[in-house]
Amino acid sequence: MKKIIAMLLALAMAFGLVACGGAEAPAATEAPAADAPAAEAPAAADFKVGAVYINSKNDTAGYTFAHHNGITTAMKELGLDPATQLVIVDEVPEDKEQVLSAIDTLVGEGANIIFGISFGYIDAMEEAAAEYTDVIFSHGTGYKSNETNFNNYFGRAYQARYLAGIAAGMKSLEMGNNNIGYVAAYGTEYAETASGINGFALGVQAVNPNATVFVKNLGAWADEVNESAFAVELIDSFGCGVISQHCDSAQPQIAAENAGVFGCGYNSDMTPDAPKAHLTAAIWNWNVYYRTAMEAAMNCGTADKFVETMGTPAYYGGLAEGFVDVSPLSENCAAGTAEAIEAVKALIISGEWDVFSGTKLEIAADGTVTKVDAPLVDNAGNEIVAAGGASVEDGVITGTMNYFVAGVQEA
Amino acid sequence: MGFHIVKRDNCPLWKKCCLYLGAVVLALLLGAVLLISLGVDPIAYYTRMFTMGTVGNKIAYKVWINYLKELVPLALVSVALSLAFKMRFWNIGGEGQFILGAISAAFVAFKAGGVLPNGVTLLLMCLAAMITAGLYGLFVAALKVKFGTNETLMTLMLNYVALYILVFLGEAKADWNFFLDAESARPVFASFAKIVSFPGIPMGGKFTLNICVILTVLIGILVYVYLRFTKHGYEISVVGDSAGTAHYAGMKVNRIVLRTVFLSAALIGLAAAFKVGTAGILSTAITDDVGWTGIIVAWLSQLNTAVIFAVSALICVLHYGSTVAAATFAQVDSSFANMLQGVILFLVLAADFYTRFKIVSDKKGGN
Repeated sequence: MKKIIAMLLALAMAFGLVACGGAEAPAATEAPAADAPAAEAPAAADFKVGAVYINSKNDTAGYTFAHHNGITTAMKELGLDPATQLVIVDEVPEDKEQVLSAIDTLVGEGANIIFGISFGYIDAMEEAAAEYTDVIFSHGTGYKSNETNFNNYFGRAYQARYLAGIAAGMKSLEMGNNNIGYVAAYGTEYAETASGINGFALGVQAVNPNATVFVKNLGAWADEVNESAFAVELIDSFGCGVISQHCDSAQPQIAAENAGVFGCGYNSDMTPDAPKAHLTAAIWNWNVYYRTAMEAAMNCGTADKFVETMGTPAYYGGLAEGFVDVSPLSENCAAGTAEAIEAVKALIISGEWDVFSGTKLEIAADGTVTKVDAPLVDNAGNEIVAAGGASVEDGVITGTMNYFVAGVQEA
Repeated sequence: MGFHIVKRDNCPLWKKCCLYLGAVVLALLLGAVLLISLGVDPIAYYTRMFTMGTVGNKIAYKVWINYLKELVPLALVSVALSLAFKMRFWNIGGEGQFILGAISAAFVAFKAGGVLPNGVTLLLMCLAAMITAGLYGLFVAALKVKFGTNETLMTLMLNYVALYILVFLGEAKADWNFFLDAESARPVFASFAKIVSFPGIPMGGKFTLNICVILTVLIGILVYVYLRFTKHGYEISVVGDSAGTAHYAGMKVNRIVLRTVFLSAALIGLAAAFKVGTAGILSTAITDDVGWTGIIVAWLSQLNTAVIFAVSALICVLHYGSTVAAATFAQVDSSFANMLQGVILFLVLAADFYTRFKIVSDKKGGN
């Protein structure tokens, strides 16, 4: 048995030697390349995209699917072939060692830019960016970055939520039911969920000032059983006529359909899941960011110029960039919804107005929009923004939005 | 017409090897059929899998570092489990013991790291992890000895208790919770990698051999000696064969059970300390399923300490290689890689059955 252990040790050491050889050889070949004129960015044909996913790359719905779809769409738009130029390590849990190992694999495959889509990858991404300075690292939903090869990206989902809220408000007026339900992954613990709920509720109130948004907190980002059960509870016990959601599956929409009420989905157009209930969904067009990032990566020369080329270490797109939007309005929407949404969308895109400001919108039944100065107040009565004040950040990065606005009630 | 399953007394080594090899080949062929149905060239896939992507990889040394990082906890946990299994104490609680060990090691790292010298902190981390995990195992052993409870169920359920303690620590954003990164608005585990971590021995070039690899091999040798050449080891095997005989022979069976289970769980805790001390951070996926995989390894190795190292080395090739291979083939996700691993393990276990038993038809049996 000592023989076997000796062999194992010898093996490990032999690999060590092989590894040294392997590590030094390319360094020697790289040196002259660096001397070559201005170290060109890889040509499109040599450009490799790497990605670390939290779920399977073959998913057909949900968060990972949305990102994978965004990456492959962006690659096709740029003439890159996902079959040969995209390397992915999927089903990577939020474990630093496992993320670092996945990144090593992708760097070993020659990836020029590596996207990590889950928040908990944050420390591994930061460390890898410092180690592999010739590779670009881009972290979704994170807040860390450096000045050279590491940025983060996320977006103003609350703007899309506001638009979906308008559709829900219109429907509530039509139904004569002021109770609106919201199945949320979390409540005020995360600014991401709180800002989504607040954006939605303000959209609802712009149309129907008497409406109340009842929030059920799942305590998990994905939990299909309770996503359905909570929606049913909101409909049965709280009498909600419209069900909105911040969770992974379409279960709340399906529950709404079964109960003969209406709903607003999230992440992707959920009209096919609940054709008789779904109004519109707040959606992410991840390909908008991925395309921007890949273009910057291909054009920035060397990896350390990436953040400079992007112009900011934290990409935070909204309606204006087309990064978030609402899915096409279904036939279930009340009359005037389309006009109202178009008008508000134009206000946001132009930068004239934003959701969390001291100016609120009043939307008439025919879709005309009026601006009125009014303070932004939380549901405990504290003033967040004075009447006429500028919009506050949604705080997804900084966590500052840890309250619900007036009109939101925990159910 | 009918069959008998008859115990095989002595399966020659060559026959065993043939059966195992046959099982692996059969599994790979099955996998090849599936790969072809996905439009993937099986030879290209398997080549990448078994070379773990080292060929043409400019950072191949990373592959070996990461590979050893997977191997150390698995080998050590398997060795630890084999101690209890030898006594027929079915410790299914490797996951839970590992997690509690990891939490304790991290606790020490946060509290003593930077205050005490590095070596002392590391030693304390190991000790804390061993004691906590050991006591967690001892608790079940005591219940079994005292009340005759079923240790399989107890250890299994305690896995989830430990897991949810860890999940709670990972999500409870509060002033007292020093396990979390204070700077992050969202709860995320804090890293102590810069304060204290197990040193690596430079082996030339960029490859460094983590000291835990050497320690694990040393512990493997010690456990081998312990089981093979000491009175304790002898007692363990007697209790495993028959507690009654052991009792009749004047052995204090209860004490032997308690002692061995504590040692088994403590070594699992040590594996956790190695893991946490290398990673420098906790995570809810910290075990990487070693508590489960370790059971397979211990079983496949027939509780032979030396074979455990070989089997865990192979399982890690399979595991690491699958991930690497799946990265470059768009159709293959890690679920498929897991399934392929499952098929291989399943067939090897089936082959294992044939090394221990044979099937005899009733006619031949003479009844």
